[in-house]
Amino acid sequence: MSAPVPISLVVNGETYDLVAPPRKLLSDVLREDLHLTGTHVGCEHGVCGACTILIDGQPSRACLTYAVQMEGHELTTIEAVAEGDWLSPLQQALHEEHGLQCGFCTAGIVMTFEAYLRDNPQPSEAEVRDVLSGNLCRCTGYQNIVTAILKAAQVMREGQGA
Amino acid sequence: MTADTPFTHIGQPLPRKEDRRFLTGKGRYLDDVTLPGALQVTFVRSPHAHARITGIDAAAARALPGVVGVFTGRDLAQWTAPLRLAPPIEGLHPVEMTTLPVDKVRFHGDPVAVVVARDRYTAEDAAELVEVEYDPLPCAADTKTALAPNAPLVDDTLPDNLVSHQSFSAGDPAARRAEADRVVEARFDLHRLTHVPMETRGCLADWDAGRAHLTMHIGTQVPHPMRGQLAARLGISETQVTVISPDIGGGFGQKIALYREELTVAALSRHLGRPVRWREDRLENLTSASHARETQCVTRAAVRADGRILGLELDLTEDFGAYCFYPANYMARVIAMILTGPYKISDYAFDVKVVLTNKCGNGPMRAPMAITSWVMDGTIDAVARELGLDPLQVRRINALRPEDLPFTMPTGEVLEDVTPLETLEAAVQAIDVPAFRARQAQARDEGRLLGLGLCTVVESTTYGSAFYKAAGIPGSGHEAAWVRIEPSGVVNASVGLMGSGQGYETPLAQAVAEGLGVTPGTVNVHMGHTDIAPYGMGSRGARGATAGGGTLYLCAQKAQAKVLAIAASMLNLNDAQGLRLHNGQVERRLEDAWQATGISLTDVARRAYLDPTALPEGIDPGLDVSLTYDPPAMTYSNATHACEVEIDPATGRIRIDRYVVAEDCGTVLNPLVVKGQQQGAVAMGLSGALLEQVVYDENGQNQSATLADYLVATACELPNIEILPLHTPNRKTPAGIKGMAEGGIMGSIGAIAGAVSDALAPLGVTAEKMPLSPQRLRALLRKAGNFTHGTTFSDPGTTTTTHDTTTHGTPGNSDGRTNRA
Repeated sequence: MSAPVPISLVVNGETYDLVAPPRKLLSDVLREDLHLTGTHVGCEHGVCGACTILIDGQPSRACLTYAVQMEGHELTTIEAVAEGDWLSPLQQALHEEHGLQCGFCTAGIVMTFEAYLRDNPQPSEAEVRDVLSGNLCRCTGYQNIVTAILKAAQVMREGQGA
Repeated sequence: MTADTPFTHIGQPLPRKEDRRFLTGKGRYLDDVTLPGALQVTFVRSPHAHARITGIDAAAARALPGVVGVFTGRDLAQWTAPLRLAPPIEGLHPVEMTTLPVDKVRFHGDPVAVVVARDRYTAEDAAELVEVEYDPLPCAADTKTALAPNAPLVDDTLPDNLVSHQSFSAGDPAARRAEADRVVEARFDLHRLTHVPMETRGCLADWDAGRAHLTMHIGTQVPHPMRGQLAARLGISETQVTVISPDIGGGFGQKIALYREELTVAALSRHLGRPVRWREDRLENLTSASHARETQCVTRAAVRADGRILGLELDLTEDFGAYCFYPANYMARVIAMILTGPYKISDYAFDVKVVLTNKCGNGPMRAPMAITSWVMDGTIDAVARELGLDPLQVRRINALRPEDLPFTMPTGEVLEDVTPLETLEAAVQAIDVPAFRARQAQARDEGRLLGLGLCTVVESTTYGSAFYKAAGIPGSGHEAAWVRIEPSGVVNASVGLMGSGQGYETPLAQAVAEGLGVTPGTVNVHMGHTDIAPYGMGSRGARGATAGGGTLYLCAQKAQAKVLAIAASMLNLNDAQGLRLHNGQVERRLEDAWQATGISLTDVARRAYLDPTALPEGIDPGLDVSLTYDPPAMTYSNATHACEVEIDPATGRIRIDRYVVAEDCGTVLNPLVVKGQQQGAVAMGLSGALLEQVVYDENGQNQSATLADYLVATACELPNIEILPLHTPNRKTPAGIKGMAEGGIMGSIGAIAGAVSDALAPLGVTAEKMPLSPQRLRALLRKAGNFTHGTTFSDPGTTTTTHDTTTHGTPGNSDGRTNRA
């Protein structure tokens, strides 16, 4: 169970070969072995959503996944969302609308909604709140996060139309 | 801010500097800081609420490959001094605790041993192998049990579990009772909560044996007091400890005390000569970090028939848990001190009891005085109910008016520059109360339950040294800052605060920019490093803006004076009269206009650092200014919260239809950040009032150890919050700053409780206990008479039906907790 095994992971388009015990959580491998510390660990039982990353484009809990299970899958983490100085429309809207305070839950929210807005370009406030209920935030009361997500959706729609 | 603001940078809604690193995954929190060779610890915790430790066998754990050692309370007692709390406060027992328990555990989750291993997985495996023998003792899982004769003693050194008891009386409450038309009694029961920062506790201790120096990486709201505690408990000097706080993923008061686990980690690093780290898991955070609240209050208001309160008495009992990391009267005292808040009451008495029980110890949680405004405005609502008066009129008849200020509260606290009646009227107007009452009456005819709650808050924000002195608590409320203009003309600054996510970097840069006369973008405020920041009291209460921002603002003004003195000599002027620094440029007043002089801050800095012989007589080289500032004994902000709800009678669900806050927090440094704090505080208050609850069973077993059991509100349960800002400056603070960020908790607890009780009024029941969960609401509805859907409520007192709700399968029916309501 705890004897290390070779694992090959594709994260943010790069291939990483590492050795880790099969029981090692994906969240721990991302943070400790790959030094991608933008993925945060808030509860380790799948409730808080801070560790949300994309597995083959779908939001998933890195704390409920073993790294060894991820061979052959494409992983995307918060480190891949911005490009240099360019923030994604969602990141930019969260900044402008003060949609984050301590920032610990932020990566999970960004990853959840990068995927959601890609698939749902025109969500209602109620739909955004429903999806956001999978991510706990203790600082903001969610109001500015919801505003930012709706704003990002609009910016992305306008960008597509342009 | 209004258009006629005297400020250039204070009051601007600048987006936060720290956002970019958080949005891109580049924040640096405790667990992101790594040191080569660091060992990991895991704590072995008590499964019992109360038990003697009769033996610890760690042989199997030590034999596991990768385990460096297993240590117990006896080891730690050799390496560390116990914590002794003995402030000279009448009625408060002195207490002492060792770093880890040696012979007795006092709550479910109490740490009894610590495993050190090469990684966390191995450490947790080994912790499972540590065999601890216990001799279980009877436990006191609630205050009633703890106060009963012959109750089990939580702390064996005390005569009983009543660790703190204070009484107070001002005026003549007994005489007011005698002359009153009615004495109205009301009850308030705020349950046990915990902070739940999204980032749990943790630390990384690095003992440098060569230098005999400890570097402690730890997310702490109070770096310098933390340094002092570490040094004292480890028996080393403050010169041998550096505390560095990285980004903090939320604190809410949980990251103030030096906890036993953290001291253990520091001592282990020193003992082993290796870096040692600990990351608390969520189960530990929910069961063993710090709890809060669990306060029961009873008020007796002596009132005239028109609702005027002549005298008020308060009985308060707080369940403090098993250990005192703070003086036990610390939180309860503030509640009792400021209870009368927005109302003109002079005859007042309180009796405050704080009780030890076999639970995780209490600490201050965002708004330590959280229950205050619910108790006061809930008392007003009770008066209105009993006398058949309009609750709004009872508020108005008791409200402090502008002409009453400054007003000395019966406890001696002085209120000035507050506007409680103005915020009340602003909130009431926004809600349009007559229109709501009409909707409510119509809804009742349709069998629907609508309610409106009002709660006015007077929030104690910044505690000055004079307050601590008067309270007998050792410590200070002053703050310290330095502002350094570097040779290139950019500005570094520092203050003794440490933010835990509020976003200090931007508003504090605005305070420096305003005081100095530069743009905020050229200012970098450094916090959280005890070798860099001046000794300050850290972040607690709502002191960040007044103490932190105020000190930086004054320090920056002092720096500007020196800059202008040098500039005057560069301009061949006799003095700096008529000069200012504006956006980094020295300007001169000529007739009615400010005109450029062609001299920039960079020019002045170059002269100060690189050409000091050209400086005028009496001006020292360099531009390095420091300053300390002690705020008034107390500053206050005020607000009124108004909340409209609808209760689903079938399920007990509360839907918040509208939430309005009119808040006056004086001059604000950054309205964007302030609004975020206001929204966040209301959200945390509502989450606690509606959903969250630390549950212990009668054996002291914690039943709420995961986030699936301890329910923090999600985006689906919380409303949008409308803020109506008022800005009455405090005339005694720098720039008129007051501070805020805790009042939202106080107001929301009171407003939601008021709204629920208003909705239930036709049924003759009142929400006296929290949380206002669906189960509790259903229990209240059943208590009102087996009420089911389809009943109408237009005629109070005739709503009893004969239907049995159990046939409806509502959530409350199968829940064992419903009988608590």
